[in-house]
Amino acid sequence: MIPLTIISGYLGSGKTTLINQLLREAKNPIGVLVNDFGDLQVDAKLIENKDSLTLSLTNGCVCCNLNEDLGSSLEQMKEKDVEAVVIEASGVALPIKLANYGLTWPGYSLSGILSVVQGESLINLLSDKFVSKTVRAQIEQADQILLNRFQDKDKEILSRLNADYITEKEVKSYWDLIFEEITPVNCFTEQELDQHSTFQSSVLSTDKVINRNRLERYLIKNSSIERAKGWIRDEGGKTWLLQMNKSECNFSISSYETNTRLVFIHTQDLDLNSLDPIYS
Amino acid sequence: MIKVYKAKSIITMNPSLPRTEAVAVRDSLILETGSLDSMKPWLENNDYEIDEQFRDSIIVPGLIDPHLHPSMAAVLLPTFFITAMEWRFPWGDTPATTSPEDYDKRLKEALTNPTHKDIFITWGHHDLWHGPMSRSRLNKIESNKPIVVWNRSFHELCMNDGALDYLGITEDDVKGASQIDFERGRFFELGLGYAVQKLNPYILDPEIFKEGLLKLKEVVHFGGQTTIADMAVGLFNFDNEFDTQLELYENEDNPFRVELIAHATALIQYAGGSNLEAEKLIAKLPERNTHKLNFRKRVKLFTDGAFFAQVAQLMEPGYIDGHEGEWLSTPEQFEEVARIYWNQGYAIHVHVTGDLGLELALDTLEKLQFEKPRFNHGFTLEHFGLSTPEQVYRLSKLGANVSANAYYVHELSDLYANHTVGSERASSMSRIGSCFREGVTTGLHSDFTMAPAQPLMSMWVAVNRVNEKGNVMSPEERITPQQGLEAITINAARILGLDHEIGTVRAGKKADFTVLNKDPLEIDPMEIKDIEIIATVFEGKVFPINKK
Repeated sequence: MIPLTIISGYLGSGKTTLINQLLREAKNPIGVLVNDFGDLQVDAKLIENKDSLTLSLTNGCVCCNLNEDLGSSLEQMKEKDVEAVVIEASGVALPIKLANYGLTWPGYSLSGILSVVQGESLINLLSDKFVSKTVRAQIEQADQILLNRFQDKDKEILSRLNADYITEKEVKSYWDLIFEEITPVNCFTEQELDQHSTFQSSVLSTDKVINRNRLERYLIKNSSIERAKGWIRDEGGKTWLLQMNKSECNFSISSYETNTRLVFIHTQDLDLNSLDPIYS
Repeated sequence: MIKVYKAKSIITMNPSLPRTEAVAVRDSLILETGSLDSMKPWLENNDYEIDEQFRDSIIVPGLIDPHLHPSMAAVLLPTFFITAMEWRFPWGDTPATTSPEDYDKRLKEALTNPTHKDIFITWGHHDLWHGPMSRSRLNKIESNKPIVVWNRSFHELCMNDGALDYLGITEDDVKGASQIDFERGRFFELGLGYAVQKLNPYILDPEIFKEGLLKLKEVVHFGGQTTIADMAVGLFNFDNEFDTQLELYENEDNPFRVELIAHATALIQYAGGSNLEAEKLIAKLPERNTHKLNFRKRVKLFTDGAFFAQVAQLMEPGYIDGHEGEWLSTPEQFEEVARIYWNQGYAIHVHVTGDLGLELALDTLEKLQFEKPRFNHGFTLEHFGLSTPEQVYRLSKLGANVSANAYYVHELSDLYANHTVGSERASSMSRIGSCFREGVTTGLHSDFTMAPAQPLMSMWVAVNRVNEKGNVMSPEERITPQQGLEAITINAARILGLDHEIGTVRAGKKADFTVLNKDPLEIDPMEIKDIEIIATVFEGKVFPINKK
């Protein structure tokens, strides 16, 4: 039986970063399935893929998508020599549904559901007109919750949700070990560099406002940056979603209010101080 | 050569000239409708022929189904139907089978003709009518030849020994899987996914898929439709869906045109990985257009989950049992994608089923209107399961169209009233009367295979709002027969952006007609669904419907 773990959490909570960390620390190959709509390809590429196997999926229930992407990916994974499989749920997935695969798909057993919760955005999400229930369910259905960028006041909100945060229920066996190593409350560091990989990632999180044009110029000039993704806040207080790859740099206005938070994927060391010119 | 069709009456749906008795056609176009007398100036200096074959019939504009799924139909139609409700098909009606004994008898008789190579797949089993299904029950009927019984709900299937052997499913393979009951041969929910994966080589076999699309061709003709829209090209495999439709539908003998609307998220991977690349690809799809198959500047997006599966997103007070609906993408992602297409000038068709799913579409439309105002933009709310009167008012102000599945009221309103959302909200699902009162361009669709691909059936439900138990649900939301006919002709044409070419009978439009034995605006509205379709005319060519 291959242990199956679901990593759940809303858009931007830090699932991909966590998975990258797992991949880096795993002794044996891990299979990763990315279950996301929309930006799925970007997310799949954000996951550093060394010896492990990454497949991206589309969403949908089997009665309207006979391709049964997830099922056939699980079958493909069986053919490979993977120690465990992790599913990165989409930002709006109800993790319990994916967990059912661990319970029912032949050859797999469920390790558990891990939800990543991001303190900075939690209050807004829990009162969001559209996703409050989804976010609540992601927390309540979790076996284990990983707190990311949390302050004490955020924990109080979480406890009011009737959720057991930080390892209450046990995530079984293999994964338990891995998670024990990374359970520190903040799994992001300001700068994450992996010397063993061709690609590195860095996270910029700041409350300074950013000038879009200057950022764009910076990204074009810096040939080491392969991809960038995340949100920026500009002088006018607007939040923009940035998606940048080698061929284009695209900003779209976002209703999601947040401070600037960008993930860069780059090939050479990136000094975050060199970003100074982009601030407004 | 001009051809003049005489009819008992022609319902033109053109408000300036609502009723006529003859229509003159040259090649694929209507020259004039009126009386033989009024069209004399056309006839005097030209060769013409008067065709009397419809003189005792009623002609209406060619019926339009602005939202169905040929690829889903192509999967389902090759299976053998044994169902509790009667299904009418061009190749013969599927009678209602209502007892376990009759079910087994029908199955046994049908087994001689496997549906999928060596496998016999039947669809429509329902525990309530046909009794619990099991491997041993099937083995008693036949244990060697592979049989697969697929439940009406699509969420469960059952196999006999022969099928398990044939597909190579052993007890060891499925040990411990909680949604597979190997002993009883049952696969449900995700266990169904496992079984479907094994069956896919047969269900999606190219030859069988073609057979399914050919059956759909008959179904569409039988329903009196001269235009349909494939409202999510790319559902399974974009190239395969397009190429097969091109091969089978682009010919002289095909009595309808197909409007093709790409499924934006399904094309992301195909296009290279991003929404921007998908948009560039979709922008180029019209280069593939042929006479009968056309892409336009239209795209399909989704907000919330499926209505039948009870995963629509609801506003307060939600579902009675407290379960949650589902989003198909985050609201942020939906907005981002919608903005890309809005700013490029597309007509955006959004799958919305619950009132909260609708709310997201409307909030997004309002933002986009603020950022880049557009008129007559064709933003269309598809399905329209649950809504509020305030949302109808708002969507009207925002200039949105509605393409509703009225059949929900017929099949689901009783279930939803008693178990799912309560009577008040269940009564007003598919709130179509309010849409007409607010002046919203409102069409009706089948979403086939979700509802029969028969526009007159959709019209019948919208006009009567009678559910399967015989109860009238929210009579205030009924529409008049005139409005019902608008919804499956001119309004459906507007929803597809084709109202300049089809949807009414008037000079200059395509000569698309549906010929009926009774007048849908004059008969008892409860008889609308039983009107017989005698023929269709597609671009001037008559396609009789042969009763079998």
